[in-house]
Amino acid sequence: MEVTMEDVAGDFEFSGCGSTTTTSSASSLDDGTGMCYAWGELSPVADWANFCCSDDDGGHDLHGLIESMLCDDTLVGVDDDGQAGLHHADMFRDDLYCYGNGSNPSSTTTTNPGSPVFDDPTQGCPEKGLRLLHLLMAAAEALSGPHKSRELARVILVRLKEMVSHTASANAAASNMERLAAHFTDALQGLLDGSHPVGGSGRQAAAAASHHHAGDVLTAFQMLQDMSPYMKFGHFTANQAILEAVSGDRRVHIVDYDIAEGIQWASLMQAMTSRADGVPAPHLRITAVSRSGGGGARAVQEAGRRLSAFAASIGQPFSFGQCRLDSDERFRPATVRMVKGEALVANCVLHQAAATTTIRRPTGSVASFLSGMAALGAKLVTVVEEEGEAEKDDDGDSAGDAAAGGFVRQFMEELHRYSAVWDSLEAGFPTQSRVRGLVERVILAPNIAGAVSRAYRGVDGEGRCGWGQWMRGSGFTAVPLSCFNHSQARLLLGLFNDGYTVEETGPNKIVLGWKARRLMSASVWAPPPLPVPSSPPEGVCQPVVGMAPVATGGFARTEFDYIDSFLVEPAYALV
Amino acid sequence: MSYHEEERHGGNGLDWFEESMSSLLAADVDLAGGGGDAGGGGYAWWWAASPAAQQDDIGSVVAQTLSPPSTAAPAAASPSIASPAASSPSDVPSSSSKKRKSPAHRAPGHTGGKKGGGGKGGGGGSDRDMRWAEQLLNPCAVAVEAGNLSRVQHLFYVLGELESFSGDANHRLAAHGLRALARWLPAAVGPAAAAAVRVPPCSERPTTAFAAAEPRLFRASLIRFHEVSPWFALPNALANAAIAQASTCGAAGATPRPLHVVDLGVSHGVQWPTLLESLTRQPGGRAPPSVRLTVVGPGATATSPVAPFSASPPGYDFSPHLLRYAKSINLDLRISRAATLDDAVPGDDGEALVVCLQFRLGHAAAEERREVLRKARGLNPELVVLSELDSGVGVVGGDGGSAAGEFAARLELLWRFLESTSAAFKGKDVEERRLLEAEAGAILAAADVAAAGEGREGWRERMAAAGFEEAPFGAEAVESARSLLRKYDSGWEMSAPSPAAAAVALRWKGQPVSFCSLWRPAA
Repeated sequence: MEVTMEDVAGDFEFSGCGSTTTTSSASSLDDGTGMCYAWGELSPVADWANFCCSDDDGGHDLHGLIESMLCDDTLVGVDDDGQAGLHHADMFRDDLYCYGNGSNPSSTTTTNPGSPVFDDPTQGCPEKGLRLLHLLMAAAEALSGPHKSRELARVILVRLKEMVSHTASANAAASNMERLAAHFTDALQGLLDGSHPVGGSGRQAAAAASHHHAGDVLTAFQMLQDMSPYMKFGHFTANQAILEAVSGDRRVHIVDYDIAEGIQWASLMQAMTSRADGVPAPHLRITAVSRSGGGGARAVQEAGRRLSAFAASIGQPFSFGQCRLDSDERFRPATVRMVKGEALVANCVLHQAAATTTIRRPTGSVASFLSGMAALGAKLVTVVEEEGEAEKDDDGDSAGDAAAGGFVRQFMEELHRYSAVWDSLEAGFPTQSRVRGLVERVILAPNIAGAVSRAYRGVDGEGRCGWGQWMRGSGFTAVPLSCFNHSQARLLLGLFNDGYTVEETGPNKIVLGWKARRLMSASVWAPPPLPVPSSPPEGVCQPVVGMAPVATGGFARTEFDYIDSFLVEPAYALV
Repeated sequence: MSYHEEERHGGNGLDWFEESMSSLLAADVDLAGGGGDAGGGGYAWWWAASPAAQQDDIGSVVAQTLSPPSTAAPAAASPSIASPAASSPSDVPSSSSKKRKSPAHRAPGHTGGKKGGGGKGGGGGSDRDMRWAEQLLNPCAVAVEAGNLSRVQHLFYVLGELESFSGDANHRLAAHGLRALARWLPAAVGPAAAAAVRVPPCSERPTTAFAAAEPRLFRASLIRFHEVSPWFALPNALANAAIAQASTCGAAGATPRPLHVVDLGVSHGVQWPTLLESLTRQPGGRAPPSVRLTVVGPGATATSPVAPFSASPPGYDFSPHLLRYAKSINLDLRISRAATLDDAVPGDDGEALVVCLQFRLGHAAAEERREVLRKARGLNPELVVLSELDSGVGVVGGDGGSAAGEFAARLELLWRFLESTSAAFKGKDVEERRLLEAEAGAILAAADVAAAGEGREGWRERMAAAGFEEAPFGAEAVESARSLLRKYDSGWEMSAPSPAAAAVALRWKGQPVSFCSLWRPAA
């Protein structure tokens, strides 16, 4: 995609980072085992993009998107969620601003494109961000606790919307904090409306997201990939651990709890087919877990189709299948088709982008997957999850927060988390407010809505301390990360802004952070030896012999659900 | 002491925010104080206390900011929950509550009208959940009293966003409440600590003070208020009916006696024309040969703060108007002014002396009340009219309640005032309403003074102690008051006097507002 970059370099630059990931081809790290990524192919995006939008949805490819972002009309077309009102005047101003700022792209201290000039003068109070913050917190308070007041929440949200109203189309004039506040306001409004019997407007975020073109979602997803290490961090760390664990195996079977758009496996395939020691790639089979109802299956199939095509293009022996969760979203090991002689790996990436996740992840679902995979005899479990600050505190007061402050605390936690994400994106790409706006709107906003909803419904029990504690308690043992894996993570962060940090909180776990804020972690585990007492009764390994899945179409075609194919609709409900 | 602690925690908590977003905020505006200090930015006020507290996580701020409500909120809520008001049934027409849901915040013109319509419909306002302003103000009062500065700051921010002197009753209550709390804060936590709390600037044009209004506006406001709201008009009418009756009773058939009214009230003359007129219509043409009106000035005692509605702007004088009117109806009227009750010396023995104590004593300190009542008793009047606000809350254990609890009771009273004036002025944000509401808001001011809204029981004891016994209203007085009340919003109602309670109570949407009672020197 260098071509793409060159085409648009004048107006749209990825500040050097993007081009680093896609153009350097020589420096291949080698820790002696021959198991590593070729750094030139760290980003599979270039090739992967071809498979993302090849036939489905008639979407734009990356090139097309970038072009479209430069043209007002197409951008409005892209943004067909009903609030396409990106004013031409604003766009024009933004362009001017970008040019003006281009001479100093590294400046991260005065990075609020446009706002000194274009902010509504009546909103120009010094501490508008603080005011927004206090209002958000008050709205969360009003929605929870012993003295909850829907009317108070409603009034606060009305005021919040007034204050962030000019951010409706995520234009550049809105400050970072205002855009963040706008999304959290929407999330809270969703909670407030959720209890309404009609509930028509109750799922704003999900509804808004579902209006985004599926192609746009993927494109925004790739934008986020290029702009931040958030996805690659987990994918690479998990993949590297998997590569090391299966280095001697000829057949590898990965059961993926939430395959999302499947991009993680594209990079794994690339690594498998390009081993420096010349060993041919093992056969890779991926079983994607999908939820029983809704449109998850279709999204999973689509991911499988893309992966199959991608594997074929690089000569990776590959087959794909899926297994369904129970109606109560529990994982049953018997639904996984087992083939003798395969090295079994469980991959569990939690908190995927809500726009692409294929799993609802209710309480108990993750636990059933982890213990189920242990029962099947997986040799490795990789977990990527959000990291809470609570773990850092380690003050063990979690018992007391179940009461009034529980939701507000979690809400502020999410606000804090996403403010770090916002800052990181802005610091890395100060001039590309429109790209950030798209990513925020399409990827992050649904995530915020989901996180707030989960916090409200109190289902995020594991969010406080992460899965590590549960896994240790269930007999899982830590698998130390290799030196190479550590340095790979550091190298990855080196491609991005200085603000990113990687922290080793255990021999088997590294944490990605922005400044002092921990954001997500990747950890590697070995399940307890069989048999596992806690495993479900039907969890006995049932090998299926002699299956030779074909590369494509190896999974049963099921009914398509055209309604919410890619999206998880957070089930808002007032308790 | 403890507030320093709070302060530091509070500082910690917002650091993450400061850390992450300060750059953009700094870029946004030219910061007043923090110019040179890159890190401080706009939060010099906040940072000054805790320059070292950096890089802490959100958990602490959230914890810090959240702990107060879980412990303190019940305390804040208790006065209101304990109040009978909470459980009293309220007829909530769905249409009315629907109207209230319309997003009407800060659009003075037409939405105000809409709101008024909703209020006029009645009912909806007594739904406690709709009264969101108190849900912010009461916890804030608790935090002020407890010296929890970070909590105060948080709620100040929120109130600052929602306050409006021109919005619906909730927004107006938030505005009055916030300003009262901001004035109270230095006394509660000390000036130094209070200076660390940022009080949101009041963006609206400041309302003219009641006692500084232009005299014609002042008079127009009073008259208009009497026309549209029974808040003062009904107690005045009851008093007038009782006074007129007192002037004629006594020895039946005897010659009419001169009438002397000592006015310790807040009507600024508006009350009297109807009295004078009714005197001339006494059956048998037995109008009193002369009427003397002694107006006792606002500073009835030197130490007490001036009661709301008792002061008048310099240059305002109702005497000429009233005298002219009296002349026009052939009544011999004299008006004199007295600084205190001491100067209101009774005239000759033959006159019927009536002392009108209306909405003034409730705001005086307990000792001054006793003193005033003692002097009133010393005048040996024929009749004493006592009208006072009646919060109905009956502050627990007399004056022993917490300041925040007292504040909550006053908020409830002010809510009734604001909501009823919304209905009275049909939701219109007019100068007259602002003037009156600004003065009514003053009842929030002196939360350290004894309870403003003590129930009728307290007054009964106090009057008895001063040597008075309660007297009943005449049936005519009650009936005329009742017919008067029909002119006003349907949210108003009046309790019929009973053998158990001789006083007449005025209520707004089922909630007590005031009472009017009659007293005679005990035998």
